[in-house]
Amino acid sequence: MITLGCDVGSLFTKAVVLDDDSIAASRLIPTTGNATEDVERLVADLLVEAGLARDALDGEAVTGRGADLVQVAEHSEDTLTCVGWAVREYLENVELVIDVGGQSITSLLLDDAGEVVNFMRNDKCASGSGRFLDVMSAAVGVSLDRIDEVVAKAESPAPFSSQCGVFVESEVITHVNAGVKPADIVAGLCDAVARIVSSQARRFGQGKAYTLTGGVARIQAVVELIGQRLDGEYQPFPLDPQLTAAVGAALLASPE
Amino acid sequence: MLFGGIDVGSLTAQAVLLEDGELRASRNIRVLPNPVDSARAVWTTLLEQQGVDQGAVQCTVATGYGREKIEGSGLAQNNVSEISCHGMGAWSVIPGLRTLIDIGGQDAKVIRVGSAGQMVNFAMNDKCASGTGRFLEVMARSLQVELGELGPLSMKAREPVALSSRCSIFCETEVLHFRQRGVAAADIAAGVTRAMAERVAALARRVGLEADVSMSGGVAKNLAVRAELERLLGVRMVSCPVDPQVVGALGAARFASDQQARP
Repeated sequence: MITLGCDVGSLFTKAVVLDDDSIAASRLIPTTGNATEDVERLVADLLVEAGLARDALDGEAVTGRGADLVQVAEHSEDTLTCVGWAVREYLENVELVIDVGGQSITSLLLDDAGEVVNFMRNDKCASGSGRFLDVMSAAVGVSLDRIDEVVAKAESPAPFSSQCGVFVESEVITHVNAGVKPADIVAGLCDAVARIVSSQARRFGQGKAYTLTGGVARIQAVVELIGQRLDGEYQPFPLDPQLTAAVGAALLASPE
Repeated sequence: MLFGGIDVGSLTAQAVLLEDGELRASRNIRVLPNPVDSARAVWTTLLEQQGVDQGAVQCTVATGYGREKIEGSGLAQNNVSEISCHGMGAWSVIPGLRTLIDIGGQDAKVIRVGSAGQMVNFAMNDKCASGTGRFLEVMARSLQVELGELGPLSMKAREPVALSSRCSIFCETEVLHFRQRGVAAADIAAGVTRAMAERVAALARRVGLEADVSMSGGVAKNLAVRAELERLLGVRMVSCPVDPQVVGALGAARFASDQQARP
């Protein structure tokens, strides 16, 4: 069974080709205001990479906040449904999923079948989201993909007292001007993100076995700091966590 | 009889000198990293400019960030919360004042005062940049205009845009998208003004409004925000007869003179 799933997220658009439950190919591009064209180009490139003709696909589905704008896919699926479905496919015992996306933090409770039974979402405020880290990494001059490497050199994480992204950005600049090492600033920021993310998860699903999905879950330093604040057992999502919703869409696209 | 008030905010610091119950002089500076240094800088330059010896001032009260430390440094003999000082300062120049909307660089407060200028209730946002001076700063930066141009620009709008987010960071992205689509800067500025006023109006509704209503803080100088707040709240603001940025320091000086008056 070969299916395609696409996730039009707030910052990145992702597409995967699934061969049963393993990823045959995947691609990621920044989301622009032109979702339909972006998805068409992304899917075309992905199929070239996978060496597949479009009619070789057994199904395709699109999800994400831009999904309504895309007219190419056969059907669209709710993002949280996709995330829940993907997590249940690979992790049997996880009850709580914490998804940290580009502009949102969502905690989802799953039943045994992978259906979302309840969720709590903050998409009103950038605090703790991918966008938050994006702004901060620009302010401190360390790119997102180097965070783990830089944090490894931290000695004493810089303190942050605000939650608001704008105020935290000012705190970053104050630390930079005071000569605080970038590694210590970045370590403090990872701790701030972990604090914000885990405070939502703790209110919602304390003690439950959990996994982390979304782009921020790729940053190991944040994953570990969240782990220190949650009681439940952490089970890593075995694929790239940034692709979770796209994988779920591909699973749901299967005609079975 | 001379009394002093010092108010250190997040971005600016002010000092006032009160002589026989009248505002004699005031000074406003950008803050230094340390609030005590800011207080010393603004207070000593005010005294020098006025040719007044510190010993000639009967009593000085500190308010704002680091007010306890400012008192501890000997610059002031007492400290009072900035909410009480803003209420008192504004009431002392607007006797009918019952509600003060104070929008500073990093916070917004709506303060209800009683018939003697005493604070009776307040609502405050200092957790989120939205609805504070910082929101306007971030938006001005996205629009590539000076902060002071934002108000005049938004008065020229034909069709204000609607910003769908509350978060300053998300609004920044929205502003960039509007600009990319070629929307007139005036229409975007007016959308920013409206978003700003809506957030402050929500805060005001939490404590309830009672006339007379006035504004203080740096954002009170933005006439577009003021007009939008008047429209949303259905009130006419009473103009603050003194520089709206020195109201907190003025209130502190009033408390200094009141303390001295007590037996």
